[in-house]
Amino acid sequence: MSTNEAAIHGTPDLSLDNPDDVIFPVISQRTLAWQDVRDGLLSSHIWLMLAYRDIKLRYRRSLLGPFWITISMAITVYTMGFLYGHLFHMDLQQYYPYLVSGMLTWALISTAIVELTDTFALSDGLLKKIKLPYSLYVHRIIARNFIIFFHNLLVMLPIYFIFTQGAKINFNTLLLLPGLAVIYVNAFIFGMIFAMIGARFRDISQIIKNFVQVVFFLTPIMWSPAILPEKDKMIVYLNPVYSYVELVRAPLMGNSPTLLHAGITLLMTLTGAVICARLFTRYRSRIIYWL
Amino acid sequence: MREIIYALPLPYHLLVISMARIDLRNVDVQFPVYSISSRSLKKHFLSVATGGAVVSDTNKHVVINALKNITLSIQDGDRVGLIGHNGSGKSTFLRLLSRIYEPSSGDININGSVSPLLDIMQGIEAESTGYENIITRGTILGLSRSKIRDKTAEIIELSGLGDYLAMPLHTYSSGMMVRLAFSISTCINPDILLIDEIFGAGDAGFMEKARQKMISLLNQSSIVVMATHSNELIQEFCNKALLMEGGCIKYFGDVKTALERYQGKK
Repeated sequence: MSTNEAAIHGTPDLSLDNPDDVIFPVISQRTLAWQDVRDGLLSSHIWLMLAYRDIKLRYRRSLLGPFWITISMAITVYTMGFLYGHLFHMDLQQYYPYLVSGMLTWALISTAIVELTDTFALSDGLLKKIKLPYSLYVHRIIARNFIIFFHNLLVMLPIYFIFTQGAKINFNTLLLLPGLAVIYVNAFIFGMIFAMIGARFRDISQIIKNFVQVVFFLTPIMWSPAILPEKDKMIVYLNPVYSYVELVRAPLMGNSPTLLHAGITLLMTLTGAVICARLFTRYRSRIIYWL
Repeated sequence: MREIIYALPLPYHLLVISMARIDLRNVDVQFPVYSISSRSLKKHFLSVATGGAVVSDTNKHVVINALKNITLSIQDGDRVGLIGHNGSGKSTFLRLLSRIYEPSSGDININGSVSPLLDIMQGIEAESTGYENIITRGTILGLSRSKIRDKTAEIIELSGLGDYLAMPLHTYSSGMMVRLAFSISTCINPDILLIDEIFGAGDAGFMEKARQKMISLLNQSSIVVMATHSNELIQEFCNKALLMEGGCIKYFGDVKTALERYQGKK
């Protein structure tokens, strides 16, 4: 204690308590970033609990609770199916399941993108009060959206009985699991990127919200790429969101997604992972100062 | 000293190494202040478009030096009281020790699990019941489900809320909320405990219970760092005091001297 006092009194700059005695570990930013990602995975009980609570709070005191998610989704897509089916003079047996399964997938992807951009910006209260991995907050948002998606899946059930030609349950349905796994991984990778950018530049979340609206019309969800003339078909494939949607929509309808879509998503995943690793390594320690 | 420790037979040297301690060397914490104008992307694009002349102007963030050149060691058994005026860097210092803020420069080493009690109301949800809040808050604090179950009885006892715990928190009075928040937050056993002004909760009856709880928590922890404006608390609980001013350490050591210096300033 006396050494401390003496040091402080005299030269405040001097190390206290035998400086040689203290070993300051040198940990690279890369290691810290990896630790954050690993700790985020290990604390799944925290983010699952938070995600579950988010949903519970949203529907607290309502009689049907989270099944309002299913009901509102059902009302939207069932009416859309009839309206657009008739407007576009489509064969309802094919078009209806296509639209419903596409809309379910789109709802998952679009809300995840929009909400992930605000992850850090909206969690500043917790971030500033307790040290938890940054990746935990991203997992929380994705988990919440996946829970909502599983509620929404119920909307597909009547479709399998009514539109038996367009939607089948078969072995391809099992491909839903790897499809969703790819969506989860990509949501994490791009979620980290968007959340960081969204925390630093507050306009980004507004830009993305509007952008997502545009992407909805550009992606074959309400319309099928079959209606495009042959020479324009390439444009659709340049849109990676189409591949993500196909990864989930095709198994939902009992089809297998094509290898091309699998390839595009793999490429996106790898590119995203590299960008995410770089950005997170470089800026992880700065995130808290942006809030 | 390290050599001597490592020379000890294995269990002993681990025992010494695992003692809680906090070391900081020349630590700075700087806050960039993003004004509304500099945070928008428009400025970024415009500064690119104008060819760089304006860049240094528009992108030069104002930086606040919240902590400057902090060097100190806190050892096992230390109970450090943080004193200083508002804005002297006490809360930033506690957040630095909680690893929430990482130093802009300098080195930091913390041995031992850190539990910050910076804001006991954090994570408390008004729409959820008392029991649900115990689980949520307990999980965030890093407790496992079974640990929370074990602690629940203790929390019920301490908070004295009884059947109210099954009710949503918006039916509570503010005093009751503080009781619950305090009872949940203090059910931890950390090596290093960081406290930011959490005394003075609830009515007289609860105050006494809370006090007992705090004393037992303080005794369990290897290191305590607490920020408070109450001189009595510091005199009672702390064996060291850290006087801060403008983000710098003014004095670190004996409690009496620190308080005298602090009051002398007033």
